[in-house]
Amino acid sequence: MTTAVLPLRYQVTDRRDETHDTVTLALQPVDEPIAAYQPGQFTMLYAFGVGEVPISMSGDPAEPGLVQTIRAVSAVTAALCAARPGQMIGVRGPYGTDWDLPGVAGRDLVLVAGGIGLAPLRSVVLSALTVPGMCRRILILIGARSPAELVYAAELDGWRARGADVRVTVDHATAGWTGHVGLVTQLINRADIDPEQTSALVCGPELMMRLSAQALCEKGVAPGRIRISLERNMRCGMAECGHCQLGPLLLCRDGPVVTYDLAASLTATREL
Amino acid sequence: MSSVSPADLAEHEFLRGLADRHLAQLARVASLATAKPGDRIFEEGSRADRFWLIRTGRIALDLQVPGPQRLLVETLGPGEVIGLSWWAPAHRWEFGAAAVQPTTAFELGTGVVIEMCEADPALGYQFTRRLMTVAVHRLNATRIRLQDLYGGSPPPAGGP
Repeated sequence: MTTAVLPLRYQVTDRRDETHDTVTLALQPVDEPIAAYQPGQFTMLYAFGVGEVPISMSGDPAEPGLVQTIRAVSAVTAALCAARPGQMIGVRGPYGTDWDLPGVAGRDLVLVAGGIGLAPLRSVVLSALTVPGMCRRILILIGARSPAELVYAAELDGWRARGADVRVTVDHATAGWTGHVGLVTQLINRADIDPEQTSALVCGPELMMRLSAQALCEKGVAPGRIRISLERNMRCGMAECGHCQLGPLLLCRDGPVVTYDLAASLTATREL
Repeated sequence: MSSVSPADLAEHEFLRGLADRHLAQLARVASLATAKPGDRIFEEGSRADRFWLIRTGRIALDLQVPGPQRLLVETLGPGEVIGLSWWAPAHRWEFGAAAVQPTTAFELGTGVVIEMCEADPALGYQFTRRLMTVAVHRLNATRIRLQDLYGGSPPPAGGP
């Protein structure tokens, strides 16, 4: 086991289309696996001959192999999304900070996800649901552009059946949609939240995370009990190259997951 | 029409903290309305002469567009106000509304509420301030929705 500089070979064993531009890949090591990971950490995935990108873990850490959800927004991610079962992918990691699941044990866990931001939180959901009673309550608030842009849509009823309170809102409803329409922050405003008992994990585009964290703070949740997952230009994954610097943080090492008391000022500061 | 007590109204988010005498005034003219999923509450373009304070359930605002489907604009739930168009000329509903879940709400006629507010500026001030707060929050939410909150910025590839 190693956190190697060189990528280790993994084979795509399964592939699932989540949306028109998002794919979930299941990966198994061909040789040595990467070290065990915690929910919230990421790997550098290498599409051979194309390039490398940081992608969060989306699987159950207790299960062998990796599950990673990728949205095609660049040449590298498009190549990864196009990978078929049997294809090789390079993997480095795991890197970065995690969601601190031991710290939420026994508490009310509120997850707020925007768009593909549900991907890094899926590991949390699977871990928390695997251990009955780990959390007093699991409330999952999901925002998406439209029903068709919802990732893991086929899994949500299963999460509900296992005890999670899952609420989904979309910006643009389509025919047949009977759920919420509006911002994910409105789901926070409407939720019955016990601020003293709540730990919140928020993931999505940065503006969405900032607004969601603010809404949680207005509910009385302490900023130190809110964690968000920040993204910058991660390259080396080992805090050597400095590309992912945000203020005093190198996010590949000091992030991606940070508490909102630390992140609030950083996310509200204009960058050069 | 079911009777509504001042205590019932005091529990609603929109009226929380309102003076007892104002709650008592409103309770005299409020009724409890119920709707089943699919029930139309009001239609776009018709006269806006009532508003509702949702207690339970969910209401969808919609717009008529070409074809059989209506375009869902927003859903509103417990603690929220449905019906703001009565507040400003031309006093016609800008959207339609329908229940998407079994819903209960306090219903208030706007004519009598406006009369009360004109007769008692303190109540008028409270109504104006609260309705303005609702309108500002909805305006801000609309502005943010216009920014394509979930799709336009990192994390680009599934995180981190």
